[in-house]
Amino acid sequence: MNARAVSLLVAKDCSLLRLPLVLYTAAAIVAVALAAAGPATRSIGVTLAINVMIGLSFHVTMGPVLGERERRTLPFVMSLPVAPRDVAVAKLLSSYIMFLVPGTVAATALVFLSPVDVLAAMASDGRSLLSHLIGWGLYFALVLGAWALVFSVVLAAAIVSESLGWTIAVITALMFVVGNGLLQVAPHVRWMVGYVRELGRDGPALPITIGVEAAGVAAIVAVMLWLQGRKTSFV
Amino acid sequence: MDGMAVRLHGVGKRYTHFALAGVDLDVARGRALGVVGQNGAGKSTLLRIVMGLVRADAGAVEVLGRAMPAEERAIKREVGFVSEDMALYRGATLRWHMELVRSFYPGWDEAHAAALLDRFELREDQKMGGMSRGQQVKAMLLLALARRPELLVLDEPTAGLDPLVRLDVLRELSAARGDRRTVIFSSHRGDDVAGLADDVAFIHAGRLIGRGSASAFAGGGRSIEEAFVEVVRGSAVGRAA
Repeated sequence: MNARAVSLLVAKDCSLLRLPLVLYTAAAIVAVALAAAGPATRSIGVTLAINVMIGLSFHVTMGPVLGERERRTLPFVMSLPVAPRDVAVAKLLSSYIMFLVPGTVAATALVFLSPVDVLAAMASDGRSLLSHLIGWGLYFALVLGAWALVFSVVLAAAIVSESLGWTIAVITALMFVVGNGLLQVAPHVRWMVGYVRELGRDGPALPITIGVEAAGVAAIVAVMLWLQGRKTSFV
Repeated sequence: MDGMAVRLHGVGKRYTHFALAGVDLDVARGRALGVVGQNGAGKSTLLRIVMGLVRADAGAVEVLGRAMPAEERAIKREVGFVSEDMALYRGATLRWHMELVRSFYPGWDEAHAAALLDRFELREDQKMGGMSRGQQVKAMLLLALARRPELLVLDEPTAGLDPLVRLDVLRELSAARGDRRTVIFSSHRGDDVAGLADDVAFIHAGRLIGRGSASAFAGGGRSIEEAFVEVVRGSAVGRAA
């Protein structure tokens, strides 16, 4: 893999999508403001934040990843001094980077889903500012890590298959499995309920979960690169 | 480094309903090779294999003395590619594309790019989505030529162009042949090939059925198309026998 080629390709994708990224970030800021403003607008803010995360994920997948073949720009990219692996890694990295700012802002709004008044609790618990910052950092790592895990599967499917149909099939399967897992199954499995509670405490559950998310993303990337290496056509 | 820009030995590629089979082809440095064949004959597949856009199932591919695809980055640094089925980003300007290509090619010649902009009557601040097909082909040619490639690979560069734009493109390709630059281009227009190529390769149904100098094929009042038809018929008779 050539780091310079990858960084140039990442810059290209970010440059092409800069206007939508600004708009998604603005929408995420509005979502946080609405969620923080009080009970009357909280659900609107949280819904908007979730929509920003879903919309941005689709936008990144359909545009820079699947759009290259559909718009016939892939031969132009592949004619540059790059290898297919450079292009695949750049697509993955640019997708994560493009999600990072609006995604992090939108994830902030989700904090207001908590039954606890998080800001009031922070003000009254007497911990240092550094401790709170670490807490927020871990929260973002947990939420964005979970997103990255699911999104990596979708991205890998899109990059390897370059097919809208296969990508939608993977999204549908994930929604079925993850959706049912979270909403139907998890609340009835005692150890999972206990484990989710543990995530909010100072125990090992949080770092273990973040570590598992990171390992999962790494495994998906490795499988994607292996599959990409078996491809014989890049136009 | 020998005198060959491209060496193909026993190159094959199999698809469900089409196969390119056993292609042996050498292109000497500084020569222009016109690849002639019907639609679907395998011209694009052959050029894509040379560019590393498609991997051959069989055989060996060497471009500018390096093995493709093992050394594809190094090879592509010396190659300009324009294809009929290639597009630029509709929402980005020509200047944006020029900056992108320049960032990949240290040898990018800004003065040459400016001269081509002028000759092609292109505006660098115009978005690709607002350009006609002819302007887009000229823009792609500009991006390929301003990197000063040693080898130009052009897949049907004049397809779908109006006569005036086609002549502009052919004139520029003729000029681009200076500096001992090697050109490989595909076309099903015999007059384009006769005007540009030193050598001609005929491809039919996935096989290289003829190879020789353009002047020999097109001599004696015979056009490249007529020579192609004769070679195809001869090849069919040869196979039947």
